[in-house]
Amino acid sequence: MIGASLSRWTVSYFAAALLALLLALALMAVGYGFPHVPVESPQTLVVVHLAVLGWLSLLMCGALFQFVPVLIARPLYSDAAPLSALVCLVSGLVALLLGFLALEGRIAATPSFLAAASLLLVMGFGLVLGNLLVTLLKGRPLPIPARFVVVGLASLALTAALGVTFALVRGGIADEEHLVELASAGIPIHAITGLGGWLGFCAMGVSYKLLAMFMLAPELDRRGSRAALYLGTCALLIGMPGAVVAVWFGGSRDLVLLAAGAPGLGAMAFYGRDILHVYRARKRRTIELNARMATLAFVSLAAAVLLAVIATLLSEMQRYSAPIAFLFAFGWLSGLGLAKLYKIVAFLTWLECYGPVLGKMPTPRVQDLVVEPRAGKWFLLYFIAVWLGAAALVFGYPGAFQAAAAAMLVATLGIVGELVRVRYLADVPKAGMPSGVRRPPMLWSAAQ
Amino acid sequence: MTTTFVDLDVRPLLAAGDEPFGKIMETVASLGPDVGLRLVAPFKPIPLLQVLASRGFDYEAREIGDGDWEVLFRPSGEHGPVGSAEEVSSERWPEPVRHLDNRDLEPPEPMVRILAEVEQMAPGEVMSALLGREPVFLFPELEKRGHRWKGGFDSGGTTYRLLVWINAKERVG
Repeated sequence: MIGASLSRWTVSYFAAALLALLLALALMAVGYGFPHVPVESPQTLVVVHLAVLGWLSLLMCGALFQFVPVLIARPLYSDAAPLSALVCLVSGLVALLLGFLALEGRIAATPSFLAAASLLLVMGFGLVLGNLLVTLLKGRPLPIPARFVVVGLASLALTAALGVTFALVRGGIADEEHLVELASAGIPIHAITGLGGWLGFCAMGVSYKLLAMFMLAPELDRRGSRAALYLGTCALLIGMPGAVVAVWFGGSRDLVLLAAGAPGLGAMAFYGRDILHVYRARKRRTIELNARMATLAFVSLAAAVLLAVIATLLSEMQRYSAPIAFLFAFGWLSGLGLAKLYKIVAFLTWLECYGPVLGKMPTPRVQDLVVEPRAGKWFLLYFIAVWLGAAALVFGYPGAFQAAAAAMLVATLGIVGELVRVRYLADVPKAGMPSGVRRPPMLWSAAQ
Repeated sequence: MTTTFVDLDVRPLLAAGDEPFGKIMETVASLGPDVGLRLVAPFKPIPLLQVLASRGFDYEAREIGDGDWEVLFRPSGEHGPVGSAEEVSSERWPEPVRHLDNRDLEPPEPMVRILAEVEQMAPGEVMSALLGREPVFLFPELEKRGHRWKGGFDSGGTTYRLLVWINAKERVG
């Protein structure tokens, strides 16, 4: 069959992801983890993995189950596997967090948490990767956004492999010399491959397609987009496995990561130029809230890149790595994710609800499911809080960072409230529920 | 490969105030394998070039004086359209009776308009629609409602031409 239908479990991934984000923000707001304790402390690991694995990775997996089929106009290979994957990933995340708490001494230390986390997360991501890669194989030759996704998925496999190595070493299960070396020196490589490779590349691919689609701009497959893809891939290959080789053979890890930064910067420059082009070449002059808010996410990305360049020039990467990662993860990836969720949830709900009766009876438009001015203020609060939080990290004000995290929490609660209203069709005029139209379930999609 | 051509001069039709698109598509539909179309028109028919490219024709256009153009359409064997599962490529589709241009509509408006139009049409009729993107969510809905479809991008990859044959699924098999 040609075409794409609703991914049954995408909304479930979104719900689990948002819950993890709220938890991560709540912990940050009460001062749990960095900057009150070091970056590598178990407390910080709990917050970071809630945000990156629980929120961003589940969000991305859920989005890819829906959007890979759209990118290549072929259905997902298995519509059932995402549920098993979600169960593995969520239970793996819980086991991982328990493992971190055990490392901290909060709960009885036992190696089994980290071992169980490794097994469950490998199974979960294995199911996600297998399903998406088999789907992508059928869509060759792949359009450029799908090629970004392929590189992202390869990075996910490498990130997970490194994460499992750390878990097995720190859980006291593996003690092979090379693995122990990697566990102590590999954290920046794990972070860069995960944030930049897995989440960054997939976000780039999805944003190319989604922005062009909803703003009626030409699809990008020009020299600049391919340059961004190749330079970014080159940066990843230098970072991973390049930096791992450096760790094992006595080379300078930081020099290798710096060398990866040069093509990485080039990729960001080409990507930035492409995104500007999409906004400028759009046929739709008045754009929706999701596209307007996405611009604030891109500003955050530009700020993260600028800060990284400044930190490199000042040889102060150690000091600035936290605000850079914060801007990248919460400004760009999360900001873009929340903005796009606002459109995607409305679109999927509309399609699930009204798709079968389109043309047979009057139906509301997708935009009738949302109230943009009300949601807009939550998004603005979110981005302002992110920028203040990043500034608090740069200038070393932990109290201000907590206040910013609390504001992000309030803003995210507001956005989640809007998404729940969309799902309940709460803002659709009553005439929008003609006979034969059912309100969709909150946590999955019923229509097939 | 040598291609033979069927001639079609649409200048008299246009001079008489008629719309030549239906006649052109009728001629194209009747072409045998390896047969091309030699079209003469009083202007360069740019939209038609895209429509026929999506049906698998390469073209060669030249001005023949007085503002008139001659265009040679050759079957390229590429850009072949795809279609619903029941699609039989050798079967002749009826001429479209309705045409929609949805290229400047944001998703999912093209899908909404096509389904609204489809519900108005009689069984056996065919609709053609131009879109800016492949309507991936529309295809399963058309099949669920018992319609057949086929479609493809033009050679530039910017216009998607879709044909929908109303309630034609039971015709197959």
